[in-house]
Amino acid sequence: MKWLGRKNELAVDEHQLASTELFRDLGARELRIVDAFVQERSFLAGEVIFDEGEEGQALYVVATGKVAICLPGRFETPLAELSPGSFFGELGLLDNSPRSAQARALEPVTLIVLSRSDFERLMDSHARIASRIALQLARHIGRRLRQMVAASPIGKSLS
Amino acid sequence: MTASGLPYRAGPLVWAANIGATCVVLFLFQKILWLVVPFILALIIYYVLMPLKLQLLLRGVSHDRAAAWVSLLAFGVFLAGAVFAFPALFGEAIAWQDSAMRYLGGGIRLLAGAMSDLEQRFGFIAQSSAREMLEAQLGGFFEHFAEKYLPGLVMGIVAWSPSLMLAPFLAFFMLRDGWRFRRFLLRAVPNAYFERSLYVMDEVDRTARQYFVGLLQLTLLDTVCLAAGLWAIGISGALTLGLVTAVLAWVPYIGSIIGCLLVVLVAATDFPGQPGVAYAAIALFLFVRLLDDFVFMPLTVGKSLKMHPLLTVLMIFVGGAVAGVPGLMLVLPVLGVLMVIGETLGLLLTDPRLRARHAHEQALRQQLVTRDLPLPPC
Repeated sequence: MKWLGRKNELAVDEHQLASTELFRDLGARELRIVDAFVQERSFLAGEVIFDEGEEGQALYVVATGKVAICLPGRFETPLAELSPGSFFGELGLLDNSPRSAQARALEPVTLIVLSRSDFERLMDSHARIASRIALQLARHIGRRLRQMVAASPIGKSLS
Repeated sequence: MTASGLPYRAGPLVWAANIGATCVVLFLFQKILWLVVPFILALIIYYVLMPLKLQLLLRGVSHDRAAAWVSLLAFGVFLAGAVFAFPALFGEAIAWQDSAMRYLGGGIRLLAGAMSDLEQRFGFIAQSSAREMLEAQLGGFFEHFAEKYLPGLVMGIVAWSPSLMLAPFLAFFMLRDGWRFRRFLLRAVPNAYFERSLYVMDEVDRTARQYFVGLLQLTLLDTVCLAAGLWAIGISGALTLGLVTAVLAWVPYIGSIIGCLLVVLVAATDFPGQPGVAYAAIALFLFVRLLDDFVFMPLTVGKSLKMHPLLTVLMIFVGGAVAGVPGLMLVLPVLGVLMVIGETLGLLLTDPRLRARHAHEQALRQQLVTRDLPLPPC
């Protein structure tokens, strides 16, 4: 029934963007620029946002609700649970690889979506925003790497 | 990428559907040409101005303001051009008819000269009196040209003017509201198909942008090459002639032939009694066409349409047969865009995982809206 119309969704605003991990280093003017390129999407609890192996076309930031990152069939429990402010789906955009895991809404969620073309356009043409987003991405991937190492047998033996 | 992880490749059914849809679209376009032509002109203006709007967006200006500023700038440039160029053009309008008749006369003289050369060499041509017949027919055509075709031409220009005035308005609204329309369309897409739809929209936009921007680049390259060649030969108005010929080349085959005829007419008039100059102009024209087809086209327009050359040529003929000259001009961009849409629809319809996810989303929504409907036990 979406073609007949739907309830007006809340537009993303700069405050929402400022409270997210990916965009928190950006100033008010830069947030306004990013705001011109993002859009909002809502998912029901239990709905699949994307599947493992899919071609990634967007990066998602959690605005409200919780998202689980899982590998169904291999791990019973979710690999991670993401709360508002977190982001996911960035790896597919960074190295053009297929999605490495499944993302599923744990409760009704609202996501801020930055499409691949807009992400690349921002990274290519706005050095200041690009450097700040790249720094956040690097921190995020570094943190995830440390967590993985800590959870591995080598990491456990070292600790 | 499909559910199996393998890249998707369109099958013969999808290809047949793409070609069929292209024919249907061209046929419909022919019926609403009064809207299609300004829409395409608006698209060209939109793609030319879009980088400027993007620059303003990246400086923190809002969509609406950026569109307004860019449109104002474009209108200012057009107005300045009109103020300087139009009075001069209208001042010379009376001389146009004389010039046209002079160039046509030059062309007829060249043709008559070539025919008498042939008659001297081949007896059977002289016996058939082909020259006299040709001269009589061409003479009759040009003698009655003004009374037969000019009113229709003027009426055509008058009838098309309001429709062409639509182009700048359409371009402005494309610049201002294009992103809203994209969001509006994406909101209507179910979550399961969202990422694929993002991809389709970006690809359609990329294909159309590369085609129209490529067409403008191609026109510029053709103009420069032809103008330089004609100037070297010594033909007058080389730049104008190069530009007109390059624009005419937008219509595949027919446009090129008319462009070549124009060049020959001017060469024959500027250098009467020297057919070598006209032949040099034809050689130059053929050289630029070859350069165009094998070097410039793959670098500009060809990048947007990843199509087999044989299919490209066949589709140009099909476009011409279905919708005449508009079909010749529009067949490639329409096919390019429909190919992206067709391949994505093919992927969506043949991917059971995406369909299952959509069904799951619908089941969840149904569950949500009906959970309080069953009567509680008494």
